Amino acid sequence: MSDIFFNLSVRSVRLNFLRSILASIGIVIGVVAISTMGMLGTNMQLQVKDELASSANTIVITADAVRMGPPGMGTSSSTSSSASGITKTQLNKIRTAVGSNGSVIPLYSTNTQFTSGNVPARGMIYGMDPDDVTKFLKVGNGTNIASINEALVGYTLAESLNVGVGDKITISSASSGPPSNSSSSASRATIKIVGIIDPRGTVADSVTTDNGIVVSKEWYTAQYGGKDHYTQVNVIAGDTDKITEIEDAIDAKLNTDAKTPAVRISDASSQLDTISSTLETLTMFILAIGGISLLVAAVSIFNVMMMSVNERVQEIGILLSIGTETGEVRKMFVYEALILGILGAGIGGVMSLVIGYSVVSAMMGTTAFFFLPASLIYIPEGMLVGMVVCVISGLYPAWRASNMDPIDALRSD
Amino acid sequence: MTDTPLISLVDVTKTYHLESGDFTALDHVSLDILENDFVAIMGPSGSGKSTMMNQLGILDVPTTGTLSISGRNVATMTNQERTHLRRDAIGYIFQKFYLIPLLSAYENVEYPLILKYKKRDTTGRASALLDAVGIGKEMGAHRPNQLSGGQQQRVAIARALVNDPKILLCDEPTGNLDRKTGFQIMDILCGLHKEGKTVILVTHDPKIAEYAHRTIRLEDGRIAEPS
Repeated sequence: MSDIFFNLSVRSVRLNFLRSILASIGIVIGVVAISTMGMLGTNMQLQVKDELASSANTIVITADAVRMGPPGMGTSSSTSSSASGITKTQLNKIRTAVGSNGSVIPLYSTNTQFTSGNVPARGMIYGMDPDDVTKFLKVGNGTNIASINEALVGYTLAESLNVGVGDKITISSASSGPPSNSSSSASRATIKIVGIIDPRGTVADSVTTDNGIVVSKEWYTAQYGGKDHYTQVNVIAGDTDKITEIEDAIDAKLNTDAKTPAVRISDASSQLDTISSTLETLTMFILAIGGISLLVAAVSIFNVMMMSVNERVQEIGILLSIGTETGEVRKMFVYEALILGILGAGIGGVMSLVIGYSVVSAMMGTTAFFFLPASLIYIPEGMLVGMVVCVISGLYPAWRASNMDPIDALRSD
Repeated sequence: MTDTPLISLVDVTKTYHLESGDFTALDHVSLDILENDFVAIMGPSGSGKSTMMNQLGILDVPTTGTLSISGRNVATMTNQERTHLRRDAIGYIFQKFYLIPLLSAYENVEYPLILKYKKRDTTGRASALLDAVGIGKEMGAHRPNQLSGGQQQRVAIARALVNDPKILLCDEPTGNLDRKTGFQIMDILCGLHKEGKTVILVTHDPKIAEYAHRTIRLEDGRIAEPS
């Protein structure tokens, strides 16, 4: 750079290299702190979002809680359960409302007990059209249900019962004795496992298959009754941007009486918003903690810049007396602060990459989201903040230098 | 030489407000310095020589009275205008040389050119001036602390001349030099006077003052004996 004032600043930093490096360490620590904390918070957000993303495009429609009871409870609570749930008429209205904007998946569900050998376990059992299974569930091992006596088992349940593809599992029918077409098998029915469902983790569509089992709707209704009275209907939107539009259409078709709505409509976005908002607050908080180290660094840079000005009083006097403008003297010291900032931010940026990666890996167990732009952006952002902090710290010393009286400055030794 | 004063002091007083009370360093001084003059200002310590130099070098402004350079009253100028006038019209030569320690000898000479033209010297003027004062290219690459006192003062003279100022303001230019080197520096200044520069020399050394065409003696802030 041909700018003589920048050259003077570079030479001044070189002349006091050790002091400059020590002052920059504060900036290094500050940049590493805010970059790492920012990346950690963002990686946490991204992970939760990713887990919820699998059901983010899903709308869940249940019979209204006030009148019908919560989902999953209706069919097993009483013999009058045949009157609860989403009816076939309502389902058709939902299909009409959704049209070509998504897939409509009606399903039955209840809580029950499973047994394999002598090992018991409790979990959810879902009944649905086998064709709908692959629309939102992934069969990792084995195949999808092909006939009425076949079932898919959740990953966690399969592990706890120690069962696999080809094994059989005994399922208790509802304890209250749901209708069944076979009195001999009314309380216990055995079904063959044809596939294991991959883990789903946190989902917002109320279908928690990890510790559950999926059977065909025919088998389910044969065991538990309640045909054409679905526990819930899931709508998988083709485009997440159309979720509100679809929800409004369903609401308009089904909840014609505003005072006593027939169905309750919910989706993952509100859940996602709440979690995202919480994590963003948490990220901001830990960023603020990182920011404190930058405040300390700012004091350190300010101190070094004041030392630089005080040591160069006579030089400032020379510059001013031979015709250097006050703005040019100011610029020279701001450059010096900026150089300290670039030095600290540069080292801090590289260290942020290494330390950030290590921290995210250690705290979260995965670095799958680390190299995404939303995560890495914290490094240049941290560097920029570090440099801005340095420049701000150098403003007063620069102003003080430029406002010196050249006569007094020349006299100083 | 013309009869119009290049520098004119009319009834100039400079008073410093100190905690111990007001101190008048220059007391109603009137003086004209013509173009291509060679003036020596002499006087004992505390006589007001330095204050006079600061006024003539427009590093300071009078408390009362008028100081004009080329007909312009410096008190009515803005700070920036005074800075530009110092840069363009006045060359400073100090007793302690006052070179910029972070710059090489060559860069010290080039610096005022960069201030004026906002770019590095491509005309070779800085090198030519260094040559003229006896500082070669190799020596020009040295930092001030690597040069002798005489060499530093030569560099300071080259720096003072680089923007071709009308006035050379020399504050004890031989004060930190041995006698022989001092006379060499004075020979350079005499040569510059012959080339048309107006030289103002502050000194307490009568031998050095003899180089000037006239001497102004200051005592207690007043001109004692104009010659």
